[in-house]
Amino acid sequence: MAGPLSKYAFINAKLRARISKILPDEMFAQLAKAPSLEAALALLREGPFASLEQIYASTGDLKLAELELLKDEIELYRGLRDYLHADTKPLVDALLSRFEIDNLKNAIRIYFDRKIRKRAVDTSTHYVLHDRIIHAIPIDIIVNADSFDEIARVCGATPYGRIVSKYSHIVESEGSLFRMEVALDHHYYDDLLGAIDRLDRRDRQVALRLIGVEIDLQNISWIIRLRKFYDLPLEAVLTTIVPGGFNLNKTTIEELYRAQNVTAVLQRFVEGKYPGLSALMSSPASSSTSRLMLIRRILDEIRRHEVQRILGGYPFTVGILLAYFLLKADELKKIRMVLNAKPMDRPLERIESML
Amino acid sequence: MIFTTQMTQLFAVVLGRDKERVTEALLREGVMQFLSTSEIDVEHLDSLSAVKPEVSLTELAEVRQRVEGVLYTVGIVPTRPQEFDLNNRVAVDLAQETARLDRIDGQRDSIRERQRSLQQEILKLEDIRRQVDLYGIDLGALATPAQQSMLAMRTGRIAASQVKNLEKELKGLPALHMVLGQQDGATHCLLLSMKRDREQIEKILAGVGWTSVELPKETLSARQGLFQEISEKLEALGAEQKELQAQVADLVKKEEPYLNTLWVNLRVNELCARIQSSFKSSSRTVIFAGWLASSKKERLSVKIMEASEGRCYLEWHEAGSEEAIGEDIPVAFNNPKALAPFQMLVSNFGVPQYGTIDPTPFVMPVYLAMFGLMFADAGQGLVLAVLGALGAWRLKRNEAKQGLYNLSWLIIWCGLSAMFFGVLFGSYFGMAPIQPLWFDFHGIVAGHAETSSVVKDVYDILSITIYFGITVIVLGLLFNWINLIRGRQWMELLFNKGGVLGGWIYGGGVYIASYMVGHNYKEFPPGRTIFLLVGLPALLLFIKEPYHYFRHRRGYGNENPNPVFILLTALMEWIVELLEIFSGYLSNTLSFMRVAGLGIAHVCLMISFFTLAEMTPGIFSILILIFGNALVIGLEGLSAAIQALRLNYYEFFTKFFHGTGRLYTPVSLNSEL
Repeated sequence: MAGPLSKYAFINAKLRARISKILPDEMFAQLAKAPSLEAALALLREGPFASLEQIYASTGDLKLAELELLKDEIELYRGLRDYLHADTKPLVDALLSRFEIDNLKNAIRIYFDRKIRKRAVDTSTHYVLHDRIIHAIPIDIIVNADSFDEIARVCGATPYGRIVSKYSHIVESEGSLFRMEVALDHHYYDDLLGAIDRLDRRDRQVALRLIGVEIDLQNISWIIRLRKFYDLPLEAVLTTIVPGGFNLNKTTIEELYRAQNVTAVLQRFVEGKYPGLSALMSSPASSSTSRLMLIRRILDEIRRHEVQRILGGYPFTVGILLAYFLLKADELKKIRMVLNAKPMDRPLERIESML
Repeated sequence: MIFTTQMTQLFAVVLGRDKERVTEALLREGVMQFLSTSEIDVEHLDSLSAVKPEVSLTELAEVRQRVEGVLYTVGIVPTRPQEFDLNNRVAVDLAQETARLDRIDGQRDSIRERQRSLQQEILKLEDIRRQVDLYGIDLGALATPAQQSMLAMRTGRIAASQVKNLEKELKGLPALHMVLGQQDGATHCLLLSMKRDREQIEKILAGVGWTSVELPKETLSARQGLFQEISEKLEALGAEQKELQAQVADLVKKEEPYLNTLWVNLRVNELCARIQSSFKSSSRTVIFAGWLASSKKERLSVKIMEASEGRCYLEWHEAGSEEAIGEDIPVAFNNPKALAPFQMLVSNFGVPQYGTIDPTPFVMPVYLAMFGLMFADAGQGLVLAVLGALGAWRLKRNEAKQGLYNLSWLIIWCGLSAMFFGVLFGSYFGMAPIQPLWFDFHGIVAGHAETSSVVKDVYDILSITIYFGITVIVLGLLFNWINLIRGRQWMELLFNKGGVLGGWIYGGGVYIASYMVGHNYKEFPPGRTIFLLVGLPALLLFIKEPYHYFRHRRGYGNENPNPVFILLTALMEWIVELLEIFSGYLSNTLSFMRVAGLGIAHVCLMISFFTLAEMTPGIFSILILIFGNALVIGLEGLSAAIQALRLNYYEFFTKFFHGTGRLYTPVSLNSEL
């Protein structure tokens, strides 16, 4: 059986070198200050994001540039997978399926808008990834399908066919994709937790903590969203919650959902689990939007805190891989955010608050 | 050159009406690093306020960045302002310039919008082409799309006058229509669309009076190669897209002279505003202060006098004098240009404190000697030097890549050093066609060296590097003593790990080790000698803690702690300090054995490739040697460079160099943006 050193020594050195190349906060501050989208893209010219400017200059289409960013992100997972020991590869496959599921969700949304909601499909079909990620999913057929049965049939060879088939009637009766999407997300996390379960003891502990925090963050954002936009009963909310969270138990989730003031409950949670971050909670947030922004910032800080913990700890675990993926995803998310904010002429303070 | 540049502080008072002219003079000279307004804390001058510029520094910077953004999109990097631009400086009307920039942005955005909609057309056609590609539809072979295709195909007739309308209506959808022929004022068309858009398409067709007609096969066959037709359309759209892209570049290029002039003027005004942001003013006067190299004092004095026509008061204070404001004196390096690559290595570690030794001139020989010993091969060194020269030649005029330019020069120097040591050791691409000038490194490692050589075996090579290491460490200690003497830190000079007592112990250790080696490791020097060389300084070191304690107590407190506790603490500190000195100096010295280690590894690798080449027949043996040399140049070169750097940083610099200085960055026309 391979030891941690032989499994992670090389990838650890490689990823630490790559982490040092992740765009620093100063660069994002510069991007936020860039006077136009073109100027922001020009700032990214020297480096791994040079293709964004080329694509935008040759098409005028920012969404195509974003699609390229997504392809690069997928390639990143695939590229790193090749360097990994066989024991760790299933975990990367499970993480990679996130992109496949998101892409499938996008394709189903287009079908749903066209067929169920009777809306014009416009150009959204062009921004769905048609390339194979893990399974062979005929995106063309899904987008152009006549019924959910057809989608379920063409996805039959994948784990998603069963989910589509199971939830199609609910979606049609409720007129919302929410439950099907939640089921797909649950499948992703089940699969991921299964892959983590097959890791050795030390890796399992590290991965459970980091992915557990991710699940917590996902659950908190859902609770906030469900409270703000839907009025679901608690039982329905609890069925949407992903099991496997690190800090949030059922009681806290119930409390969060029932609470009049989510920020206050979150404050107690942060003070208990991350006392170092409790200063953030004292920031004034009057409106509901700024409260949501504050909560999002806190969640990001929790994630950052966990990543730093991993980077400062024992180096030869799967943690370095997960930390890198999180940092990279964060970097790409920020780039997307800034670039999308530019054509909308968002004020600098607003962009900075989103970073 | 050995010490950092001598600095002087200027405290100046000029009349408010001369403010602009003096500002320009200061910028023209570009030698002042200004003290901020909060640092100029002068007694009785509380009533002074910061100077308010006519246009805010932030606004100027924002518009300048905006101009840069426009220029960067077509790869134009504005050139830095010259003295001429400063002499012709004009006030900037930000509102007017912003309006013009808005117009340029507006024109560019409208082209981008056209590009975007054209791209939508391209994507739609690509959608159809992908379907044709996947499921096949070529009218010559198949009259209808395959069953699983997403495409729907219709043939029909519309009035000729409705063709344009049909085109217009279909614009938003992935659809392709082709005119097949005309008859009696009606046009026969073939329409290809996505099945999913059936309802919308049917609505459009009804609107233009479409009548479905089953056209004869011959008519359809006339339009063979639909795939090619789509490709041609896509090509045409692609060309149009390129044209629009070129229009954006043309738009910016057309405005380039204006944008460049505006950028330069904004930059000059911004620099002036930045200088004035360090001014304090009263109703009629302006005060400023800052640091400059002492050698520039006379000239700057004359220039300020000229600018203010003598209406000024200038006060000069040498760095370190009591009158000078602030203690944080900026540090300017004072090295010739040839040492720039080595200065880069030093500043990468840190900036020396003001008035201390700048190690750059010493890093050059030390670094190159280390590299050369680890990578001694004249042929491979020549390759490095040529590669470095190519890099330097390419980057010479690129101001933005000065770091890489310096790195290229470092590679040239390393190559030359490798050549020098290669000649000394008689190594040319791993071969030995010429007798070595010093000793046969390869022969020693391979085990067939000449017995008459001064250096006979690997142990001798290791000894050379140890002696080299001792020299470097002693040099570091000497520098530390010089710095401490200049800083009048007498107790640190005596008691610090790198002080006189530390050096005494190190010197004693070196003597004892040499004595033992000289006596085949069988004999120690006499006990009295050992005591004098190591024991006595070690005992003297015990004074350090009690001294610190008494100085501390006299200075701060009235407490009366237990004397036993004081003694135990001093004893513990003393033991730890001694352990640190002994283990630290021993490991520092032995660390230099890596130089021999890397040198031996270099030779071993070359021997391996030569053995492999001997075992391989024909051309492959030459290929192996070429590959081997390339690999050694790449890997060993990098490894030797990193190890040499590491030895400089950790074994040499740590003895005397704190790297806590603040770099001198005057405001000039060349200031970093």
